[in-house]
Amino acid sequence: MDLLEPTRQAFALLLRGDPELLQIIWLSIWLSVTAILLISPPSIAFGVLLARRRFPGQRALVVLVQALLSFPTVVVGLVLYLLLSRRGPFGSLELLFTPTAIVIGYMVIAFPVLVTFTVSAVQGADPRVFETARSLGASGKRAALTTLSEVRFGIIAAVVTAFGRVISEVGCAIMIGGNIDGLTRNMPTAIALETSKGDFAQGIALGMVLMALALGINVAMAFLQGEGGLK
Amino acid sequence: MSRALLEAEGVVRRLGGRRVLDGIGLGVERGQGYVLSGDNGSGKTTLLRILAGLEAADAGVLRLEGEQTPLPRYPDDWRLRVVYVHQHPYLFHTSVAANIAYGLKARGVAREQWLQKVEEAIDWAGLREVVAVPPQKLSGGEKQRVALARAKVLSPQLLLLDEPTANLDADGRRRTLELLPRLFADGVSVLIACHDREIIELSGVRRFHLEDGKLVPLA
Repeated sequence: MDLLEPTRQAFALLLRGDPELLQIIWLSIWLSVTAILLISPPSIAFGVLLARRRFPGQRALVVLVQALLSFPTVVVGLVLYLLLSRRGPFGSLELLFTPTAIVIGYMVIAFPVLVTFTVSAVQGADPRVFETARSLGASGKRAALTTLSEVRFGIIAAVVTAFGRVISEVGCAIMIGGNIDGLTRNMPTAIALETSKGDFAQGIALGMVLMALALGINVAMAFLQGEGGLK
Repeated sequence: MSRALLEAEGVVRRLGGRRVLDGIGLGVERGQGYVLSGDNGSGKTTLLRILAGLEAADAGVLRLEGEQTPLPRYPDDWRLRVVYVHQHPYLFHTSVAANIAYGLKARGVAREQWLQKVEEAIDWAGLREVVAVPPQKLSGGEKQRVALARAKVLSPQLLLLDEPTANLDADGRRRTLELLPRLFADGVSVLIACHDREIIELSGVRRFHLEDGKLVPLA
């Protein structure tokens, strides 16, 4: 197979700012960012709770959330499809094959990533952080926020990893988004579709954008972390 | 009014089947310095942490200004009145000034006030020349002085210092030692757990020795 020609076409698409391509890129970023913004605060709070509080079943809950990490996204898509389809319990909301459905799917996929990374970061924090904050008169909530601030690089890593997972996700997005042109077609689903049609140029172009995004985010994270992240 | 600031009665702490603290009784008077000596593992840190409200005792009663506190429960404002400084102080990844301001902000002190108090504390602890250095890059002695300034700026009723000169180089130890008498002079009640002979022999302090879970007053 000749890879040179489709690659040249892919660069041409990117350089001339092909409107269809830009629309797909914009939709992907918008859906992913929206999902991460919505799910991060409750997931991080839940992660802090799991890491700091002792209660019956806590360990089992941590294991369950960790197990969700390896849950196939296509199964997440299947469950959400059944819930959102016309005959499902939430069918009346008419969310199936809408951008909102994809955002919900992304939130479900990002949740275990954010919780697990947060638990790991908070449990890995120096035990003196919380104690020092408390001994200086901070409330439990303020001391927990101080701990979060001290492990902020771990939290940033959680958010970046979750973003990376959802923006490159294909199974769930196809199942509950339907890959509808101009409405729910994002980068991974477009790559899958165009490749199956034998139109490699758009797939390569979108693949390059995805890789550039991944690289850009990781460089930004390393920069933000400064010395703390480059040990 | 009674001079007793803090009274402890029958404080017991068991660790691994051993009674590390075996019915400790202690009275702390206002504005008085105390030194608590004892071997490693004798329970000095445990006692300080219980007095600070950071570790639960198995039994005992604490009274702060006459208010009775049956352990292991502590009133909400306990840690606003009793401040503990760790043997290896943890400094937050902010600035020296923000570290010193932390407790003041937690207490809701107005910005103008805490700014002024922080400046005074920086001068008090001789930290002016390192104020722009990231806290994690400070020497052990400088970290200890930041921790002392961070605690002192809160004007606690009781300050608990755990081995304030342990693991410091000669200069760090000397500069930390200079601050201790100034704490006493400022009228802060201070209880210091340590091995350091120079602290144990500070003038004006009362001395206790912790051995086999019991507190023995020293001459």
